[in-house]
Amino acid sequence: MSPLQLALRVLRVDRRTQVSTVLTALGVAVATGLVLLLVSLPYATESRAERTLWQHPTSFSEGSSDGVVSWASSEDTVDGQLITRIDVAPLVDPADIVLPPGIDRLPAPGEMLRSPELAQLADSRPAAELADRFAAKPAGLLGDEALMFPEQLVVLVGHTPETMPVNASALPALASGEAEADGLLSLLAGVGVVVLLIPSLVLVASASRLTAARRERRLAALRLAGATPAQVTKMVAAETGLAAVAGALIGVAVSPVLHSVATWVPWGGGTWFARDFMLPWPVVVAVALAVPVLVVGAAVAGLRRVVSTPLMATGGHTVKPLSKARLLIVPAAALLFFWTLSMAGESENAMLPMLVSLGILMWSPTLVGPWVTSALGGVFTKVWRKPSALLAGRRLRDDPKAAYRASAGVVLAVFAGSMALTVMPSLESEAGYYSAYRDDVLYLSTDADSAKEIVSRADAGLSKYDLAQRAAAVGQVQIKQGDQYLQGYVVSCEDAKVLLPVDLTCGSAPAMYAPAGTSLSLVDYADSSGVEKTASLPGKPVDAPIGVVLIDPSLFPADAQPIVVDVAVPADAGTREAARTALLAASGGAQVISKEMKLNEQNTELADLRRVTVIGLVTAAVLGGLSAAIATAGSVMDRRRTFGALMAAGTPVRTLAKALRAEAALPALVSTLGAGALGTAVGVGLFGLVSQSLPVFSPWLAAPIALGALVALLAASVCRPALNRVRAEPLADE
Amino acid sequence: MTPLLSGRGLVKRYGAAYALAGVDIDIAAGEVLAIVGPSGSGKTSLLHVLAGILKADDGAITLGGQRVDQLNETKRSELRRTEFGFVFQSGMLVTELTAEENVALPLLLGGRDRNMAISTARTWLGRLGLAGKETRRPGELSGGEAQRVAIARAVAHRPKVIFADEPTGALDTKTGRATVDALIDTAKETGAAVIIVTHDRELAAMVPRTVAIRDGRIEQPVVAQ
Repeated sequence: MSPLQLALRVLRVDRRTQVSTVLTALGVAVATGLVLLLVSLPYATESRAERTLWQHPTSFSEGSSDGVVSWASSEDTVDGQLITRIDVAPLVDPADIVLPPGIDRLPAPGEMLRSPELAQLADSRPAAELADRFAAKPAGLLGDEALMFPEQLVVLVGHTPETMPVNASALPALASGEAEADGLLSLLAGVGVVVLLIPSLVLVASASRLTAARRERRLAALRLAGATPAQVTKMVAAETGLAAVAGALIGVAVSPVLHSVATWVPWGGGTWFARDFMLPWPVVVAVALAVPVLVVGAAVAGLRRVVSTPLMATGGHTVKPLSKARLLIVPAAALLFFWTLSMAGESENAMLPMLVSLGILMWSPTLVGPWVTSALGGVFTKVWRKPSALLAGRRLRDDPKAAYRASAGVVLAVFAGSMALTVMPSLESEAGYYSAYRDDVLYLSTDADSAKEIVSRADAGLSKYDLAQRAAAVGQVQIKQGDQYLQGYVVSCEDAKVLLPVDLTCGSAPAMYAPAGTSLSLVDYADSSGVEKTASLPGKPVDAPIGVVLIDPSLFPADAQPIVVDVAVPADAGTREAARTALLAASGGAQVISKEMKLNEQNTELADLRRVTVIGLVTAAVLGGLSAAIATAGSVMDRRRTFGALMAAGTPVRTLAKALRAEAALPALVSTLGAGALGTAVGVGLFGLVSQSLPVFSPWLAAPIALGALVALLAASVCRPALNRVRAEPLADE
Repeated sequence: MTPLLSGRGLVKRYGAAYALAGVDIDIAAGEVLAIVGPSGSGKTSLLHVLAGILKADDGAITLGGQRVDQLNETKRSELRRTEFGFVFQSGMLVTELTAEENVALPLLLGGRDRNMAISTARTWLGRLGLAGKETRRPGELSGGEAQRVAIARAVAHRPKVIFADEPTGALDTKTGRATVDALIDTAKETGAAVIIVTHDRELAAMVPRTVAIRDGRIEQPVVAQ
């Protein structure tokens, strides 16, 4: 009989093997499906980037003579939704410009192509609130192949080179450069593979351990009957391989479903096209092979005892104490992680070693956890007062690996949760809006020559929309007062009071306003040598405790130039959309900045992070809880005869259940504390990769530990039905 | 003689098959009784029904004149823990616990404190010739020693009845006899009645009273000394 035939025969007749095989296959299917999903994320973002290379080109011409198209991009917002605006003007014969998929023609000057969602939105609102912003006639729709995500709001506006916004660049092609995957999502996917794959494998290990005791006896009997170690190994490989291969195939089969679900999860402002998650087939094959190979390899590695000394497996064995050297593994893994983390900060190529070391660090508690469990058991066996404490303590001491196995998945989930909750509040603390203007001001930056015309056109627009407010040009200069540098604004006092966060009383005549002090001079860096040049400002400023200097435009020296000129319009919530329309239509596609738009962008990013974190944590917690529940049930099944005899002799189920709950939950409680601390440290490290600020620690950091303990307790509660099942079975030898 | 434990018209069915088909049986205080029969005769089912491990489908069981078959599982568990002791084949000891902890377990479950329970356990282990082996685990004891630990566990809380299910099944003949001798002697010491289930007629011959069971019915007593 071949190993495979033997495995099939055991599977046919043994119900527990059937249950274990099904659970193992499910675990492998979950692991395969999750890995395929996570591996597809960088491909999905790259696919998005590929489609939207015309919106975000990565290669520009050095001069306008090299380019075929003049291109400018800006972002706009309506009701908190982001609109991407691309302005283009052909620099060569339009027929010679290669168009990217989804764009069937280059819009002529004064025409525009809109995404279907934007067309629908613009058509459903008054023109003053949206359609007028583009100052162009709709000439068609952009196809899906040109959109980042199905509901993207994007417009392509045609120009002549002369009417292009001041920030336009020349491109060698409309979609130029190389598409790149989203770095943050790729990093999160990498972390996700580690965070979710390990609990999945723990789940598989727990499932395959359901029949471990019985299988060890069977294999030991086969060894005693003359089977060689190689034959026994092949049998186990066949037995586990059956479940693993079936699971991997199920995982591959259900991965399109997972991918479909993933298309509903927004990232970067929108959902996904189903085809974004398509993986190259060699990657699918590699994952579908790697996961079962890992599982079979782990099962074969677990055979060492029965292969080397079959008698020990049949007749029990003396428990060897775990080496204290295990305790060194966590600090060693932590050192390795922080070393690779410091490298990752310096080079992008060091990202993979950092992720590998993160995986090692996450795995390290599974080696230290049993030692901690054993030590905990040792304490219990010394101080016990109740039989449940004695039973739990002895079990923890005797088989700490099995006892820890039940909580391993939960510990990993706590690690991941603490890591995420360290990174998230720290990132949120970085969010905010910093502007020279009042919060309700919309503004755009331009040059001094264009500013006057934009103000004039914007005012005409504001009048057209019956809005009372008017636009103003605000020049920005640097002022030196003694040794101190101050920000200066070339703006009238009345406009400054409306636009800038200053509180002052304006005089009747044009004036300069500045903090009390010595005379003012205008700083000019225009010299190509970079040497600071200053020019005196005529007249004495009015003392005003405003922290900045205001210079009325009529007093600004005619031969000086502001560093930058903004055109600003005050707008409250009721007039914001129309004021934005007036400003945008006047500028012909400049970037209009406002507080709500900046905050919306940050909120979108944080919401993305929060969403994937919650999804990841819930998945890790569910996997951890399932592993714990299966491990607890397996631990009852392994000792069914002993428990059966104890219950027959009158031991209440509640006493045994209490002991088993303690046995399952105690290691989890202790290990989750350690995992929480470790996860927090890793979170601090990862936050340091993206920010120089100090991390923020929130009280929510305790949540994963509490949640982990709760999940462990809930999972441990399956011992009660398992014990009831044992009680219902005849008290007889297996 | 007033019976200590009595079963009347006991019936136990598994589907359509009768494990017990109307069994009447009595055992007096301090009496030692062997129930013999071939595999599948219903002897283990009878022991489990009398001990309240299984609930009979029909019939009545009294202990000291009180009906015990109508108790719920919680009460039956309490009864088994306080009034009965058990010796199973292969000891069925808790492998993680030491010999003394195994013996102390029923006392602890009965609410005794740790020191008292451990002290009583050591006393019984000493009486059964296991002094010095109190801290050994079941895996570190011979089969006969493990069964003596099981006997100590069965008598430590001074039960009224000790049930022994194939107590020598995993032992050689010599060790088996020594184990049964130890069980009977210990029971005499505590005044407990003993019911031994065995398929070994030689072993049954060591016991003062034996009843045979076949197809779920009691046959005529084969030995009455």
